[in-house]
Amino acid sequence: MIEALHLRKTFIRSVAVDDVSFQLRKGEILGLIGPNGAGKTTTIRIVLNILKPDAGEVLYEGNPFSEQSRNLFGYLPEERGLYRKSRVLDTITYFGCLRGMRKPFAREQALKWLESFDLARESNRKIEELSKGNQQKLQFIVAVVHDPWLVVLDEPFSGLDPLNQVTMQEIVAGLRNAGKAVILSTHQMDYAEKLSDAICLMHEGKVLLRGTVPELRKRYGTNTVRMEFSGDGSVLATIPGIKKVILSQSGAECELADGETTGRILGILSQKLDLRKFELVEPTLNSIFLDVVHKKNSPQSSGRVH
Amino acid sequence: MRKIAVIAAWEYLERVKSRFFLVSLILMPLIMISLGILPAFLIGGETQTRKVIAVADLTGVLLPRFANQLTKGQMAGENHPSYIIRPLDVAATSNEEAVRVEGDQLVVSGEVDGFCILKESKKGRYTIEFRSASLHEEPDKGDLENALKSILLEDTLISLGVPPSSLEWLNESVMVEMVILSSKEGRVEETNLKEFLQVFFSAYVFLMMLFFMILSSGQLLVRSVVEEKANRIVEILVSACTPTQLMTGKMVGLSCLGFTQMLVWSAVALIMSSVLSLEFIVHEQLLLLLLYFVLGYLFYASIFIAVGSPVTTEQEAQQVTGYLVIFLVIPLVLTVPAIQDPGAEWISILSYIPLLTPTMMGLRLALGSPALSEILTTVAIMLVSIYISMLVAGRIFRIAILSTGKRPTMRELISWVRTGA
Repeated sequence: MIEALHLRKTFIRSVAVDDVSFQLRKGEILGLIGPNGAGKTTTIRIVLNILKPDAGEVLYEGNPFSEQSRNLFGYLPEERGLYRKSRVLDTITYFGCLRGMRKPFAREQALKWLESFDLARESNRKIEELSKGNQQKLQFIVAVVHDPWLVVLDEPFSGLDPLNQVTMQEIVAGLRNAGKAVILSTHQMDYAEKLSDAICLMHEGKVLLRGTVPELRKRYGTNTVRMEFSGDGSVLATIPGIKKVILSQSGAECELADGETTGRILGILSQKLDLRKFELVEPTLNSIFLDVVHKKNSPQSSGRVH
Repeated sequence: MRKIAVIAAWEYLERVKSRFFLVSLILMPLIMISLGILPAFLIGGETQTRKVIAVADLTGVLLPRFANQLTKGQMAGENHPSYIIRPLDVAATSNEEAVRVEGDQLVVSGEVDGFCILKESKKGRYTIEFRSASLHEEPDKGDLENALKSILLEDTLISLGVPPSSLEWLNESVMVEMVILSSKEGRVEETNLKEFLQVFFSAYVFLMMLFFMILSSGQLLVRSVVEEKANRIVEILVSACTPTQLMTGKMVGLSCLGFTQMLVWSAVALIMSSVLSLEFIVHEQLLLLLLYFVLGYLFYASIFIAVGSPVTTEQEAQQVTGYLVIFLVIPLVLTVPAIQDPGAEWISILSYIPLLTPTMMGLRLALGSPALSEILTTVAIMLVSIYISMLVAGRIFRIAILSTGKRPTMRELISWVRTGA
């Protein structure tokens, strides 16, 4: 288990991370999501002890950071790159040794991983000769060759073609099944939604939301309904209790006012329209995010002149 | 400790295997040789300059002996040209003007380097007129004067009844020998010119090696930091080890690389010197020399790290190392006056400036012998400076490796160093 407790980090002109807490068990994936500049990378760097927090601490299995902890981390940074002129197998072995492995063992493991990615043939080539997709796989191997229990993946899907994105999803899920604690940082909400056991949504250095995906859906998904009908949809806007209407070809999506129940609305609508379908919308992480950010910003933005 | 070793081994092996290293291994000695030996060859070439001089003897009697005197072996010492005399037939055109025209023609056409007219202006008074295309062609004024004077002296002595054998003795009676003195542990020691040149050569080689080693591995250091910053390998690295381990590992690895180079070059130099039959002075203070070498190397390496790690692009890295080269050239430039006068006070003073200590002390060790107290003080100064510069470099490095984008301002840099965060 890894626990981040009230992390705070300020840079010269800005607060990058402000009171960030979360916990993560082995065999779980924590989706660290948020827009660019939300403080995800800084949080990751604190967790990996690349940066020291100004306040708060991270506990690894209940213990504070020690130099030995480093050997248990695996890290795939956001921007990729390895020593272009070096050879594939040598590079993996080097990083393995740097995480405390003995050289022969590191080599053996490196070969195993290369084989599992179907890259064994490339093991003596220079990295710059590999395709971009293979370079990414290589970088992933570097992150996991030493069998870490905490794997941090920063934007693992960026720059991959659709085929490789699917492969990467399988790999990430595989890490969870292998019992690793995985932190998946991304601004691609759909992947986070699909893969994460828990979500930590960050915005402007703060944690806005935390919880499992179903929890979040439950919390944020109750006031939007989607319907299909025939008839004039314009009546929807006249119904009290419906806050917002988005009409489409065959139906509409409505946001209900706070405190409104779906049952009452369904009762009213069934008299006015010929409903074919009426369902509660499971909100996407994306819409939750937009919703939360919007709510957070609105008190401030209302004061501004547009 | 193990991580430092892992990093050092990686940095070392990856570079030893590279083509760049092989090329520099071969290229650098070539540059070194051309810089170190070529000037000596060029200067040496000039000492053997032959000058063809046309001589018109209006007296009609002096020419054979004059020519003989000028071309005599002892005249052509270290810095004298050797002369080839081309007599002009004066009998045909006894007119002085005509002779001058003929001789001038030879000079202008380049057939001879100079043209010399001997004449007796009054009874017992002679003039030598020398005409040439440039001042450079002028033979040593003393050579001409001495040649004529010794003829006149001979004549006078013979007329006074001195036997010719005594004249020969007179010519060979004086030999001038140059001895260079230096003080060594309170005693005065002498070196002859040849030994001195060998010491000079050794000192020069020492400085050149220091220069190229610092330059090449300093550049490698900056480049490797910039590369790791640019492709963010550094993030993986500092999640696997501390920045201090990373910096130390790099420095150790690249130092080993530098010392490998030095070993190879030394071997080449030894072979070369035996081929050229130049003796390398294997000083009893070789160990001290090596100590200064290592100290200087470490000091400059930390400066390279401090200056190089905030840099974010390859171009900037080149700029920065360019500035550092200027720093490195200063001691090299000072070498020449220092070698000429190794005992000078200003060299003692410069020995206490950390940037110059290794080179200056290296020179002094090779050329003379500084007092033990001076050696101890300068080593202490170096150790303290290295400690401070490493500390500063480490603090800058720790933050700089994670900062990308714009180059930090001076104020930011200072705050990094002061707070270490």
